[in-house]
Amino acid sequence: MTRRLLVIGLDCAEPSLVFDRWREELPHLNQLMEAGTYGELESTIPPITVPAWTSMLTGKDPGELGFYGFRNRADYSYDQMSIASSAAVKRARVWGRASASGKRVVVVGVPQTYPPRPLNGYLVTSFLTPSTFSQYTYPQSLKAEIAQVVGDYMLDVRDFRTEDKGYLLRQIYDMTEKRCQLVKHFLRTKPWEFFMWVEMGVDRIHHGFWKYMDPAHPKHEPGNRYQDAIRDYYRYLDAQIGEILELVPDDAAVLVMSDHGAQPMEGGICFNEWLMREGYLVLEDQPEGIVPLAKCEINWRRTKAWGAGGYYGRLFLNVEGREPQGVIPPQEDDATRDELIAKLEALTDPQGRNIGTRAFKPEEVYREINNIPPDLIVYFGNLAWRSVGSVGLDTIHTFENDTGPDDANHAQNGLFILTVPGLAGQGRVPTHSWRAIAPTMLGLLELEVPPDIEGESLL
Amino acid sequence: MECLALTWRGEYATEQKGFTLWFTGLSGSGKTVLAKAVETELRSRGLKVERLDGDIVRKSLTKDLGFTKEDRDTNIERVTFVAKLLTRNGVAVLCSFISPYRERRTKSRAEIGNFVECYVECPLEVCMERDVKGLYQRAMAGEIENFTGISDPYEPPENREIVVNTAQQTLEESVEVILRRLEELGYLEPEEEVYSAEDEAAVDERLRALGYI
Repeated sequence: MTRRLLVIGLDCAEPSLVFDRWREELPHLNQLMEAGTYGELESTIPPITVPAWTSMLTGKDPGELGFYGFRNRADYSYDQMSIASSAAVKRARVWGRASASGKRVVVVGVPQTYPPRPLNGYLVTSFLTPSTFSQYTYPQSLKAEIAQVVGDYMLDVRDFRTEDKGYLLRQIYDMTEKRCQLVKHFLRTKPWEFFMWVEMGVDRIHHGFWKYMDPAHPKHEPGNRYQDAIRDYYRYLDAQIGEILELVPDDAAVLVMSDHGAQPMEGGICFNEWLMREGYLVLEDQPEGIVPLAKCEINWRRTKAWGAGGYYGRLFLNVEGREPQGVIPPQEDDATRDELIAKLEALTDPQGRNIGTRAFKPEEVYREINNIPPDLIVYFGNLAWRSVGSVGLDTIHTFENDTGPDDANHAQNGLFILTVPGLAGQGRVPTHSWRAIAPTMLGLLELEVPPDIEGESLL
Repeated sequence: MECLALTWRGEYATEQKGFTLWFTGLSGSGKTVLAKAVETELRSRGLKVERLDGDIVRKSLTKDLGFTKEDRDTNIERVTFVAKLLTRNGVAVLCSFISPYRERRTKSRAEIGNFVECYVECPLEVCMERDVKGLYQRAMAGEIENFTGISDPYEPPENREIVVNTAQQTLEESVEVILRRLEELGYLEPEEEVYSAEDEAAVDERLRALGYI
């Protein structure tokens, strides 16, 4: 069994594009698939960058981790939220276990690593870092080295919501180019047994350019100038991966993976507008224009529930004795949620066709519940529709996002491609759960898999 | 006495120092409510926690015991033994027992070592007014003998580490007092502030622009 592992994380990489549509145009990923084992990787509920990457790296589901998205309720007040930084991660990730056993690790751009924590090696944080003026490396001295190698490092693209798609595309390439340059520099100069890099460019290009590529997208216009933008980026990334693989010793296992997939976005469901129409949410005054719910005066005494926007919907109940002005008796909490689930699952598009919404109770999908989860996790149209939290649109359906243009939503399944020296690959295999990742990584590093990490290794 | 256990804080394992947080006070003063709330907080900070509660323990470990002074002392003696074992294995043990006798609590302190006494102060009349389990009414009617505060004494702690007054503070305020004191005593690492208000707003805005929220 090998003792070295390189993990190439491609945030949001979509299996249908890598395995099928563009496989022949991605020679290095294709070579890994031909030599190894690959398939779809079912993500967490919800399939979002945070908590998905951390769940995969700790072997713990979002309930066990105690965070359910990027921002979570800090308490049962109506407005205190906190960002799930690395300080929220209370369970060991694979590189922490590797470090503790004396293995040398390099971690680049993995989500939820700011602020950086000491480890046995080197770490560069990700886009939840305020800026490169913050301490975004471990050790601190690494910052100066990064500046020498790539100049002005890019934690993320700037001005993602711009309508200037040419500018956005250049940003995505610049960011990826710098990160790949840094990864190659570290591969050449740092000793390691565990090396993990997550590239966010795939996610950014999907959200920014999907409609140009996909004829199935409601806003697709054939023959547009960005029709090949995503394909060209995948090809570019594959070439970078090829250069990176040349720097990797023959005894290293390679795991390419994504935290979730992507799909065209049909539109947005105005969650709070819907809750108002159904009588669950009452505002003191009708808003003027489109306004985030946080800026509205809510009549809490007449409000049973409110929602939050994003790629998936979060619903919160206003419970007596729990929220400051709660109205739902605690014993009616479950019945209220059942009622809402039935109504959500009956949601239709403007033509009256059911869109296939799914809603989950946290206690039914997580092994345990820590901190404060949403009372319901909602996949509008099974994630084909995003959740829009703003009010004042006076409609349930919208085809313009309240935060700017967005072409894609997440899909539940991402991908994995695993090659292990000396181990014959199995080719395409059935979908595996995200729970397979931590045991697989620990096994490849010859580290013990603790009994509380469930999940079958990919090996 | 070794009282350490490995717990994970981000990338590295760190050692959790075990301790026993002993809630003492009259029936209905809020010991169990406080212990549950503190348990939630400690778990959210990654600590291993166990709660030993008088009502629960008296249905199992000490179900053979009554409420004479001798039986009360034996009750606390057995619980102390369990708390000591957990504490020396790095667990944060939250004990909520009336434990009315000062001398017995002092013995528990000596035996456990990492012992933090929290006096849950609440005037008897407020406890009687709350009467959450209907026990005061029954005690006043003579249906229950040896009832602390009515027919049996309660000896408040003199050298406690923490005092909270549940008649004057909200639950959140009392929990805050307890957590701050545990930090001061070195049993709990202070919560770090990751983002300044300005930085948090910047990251928030970035997440919104990226469509995540």
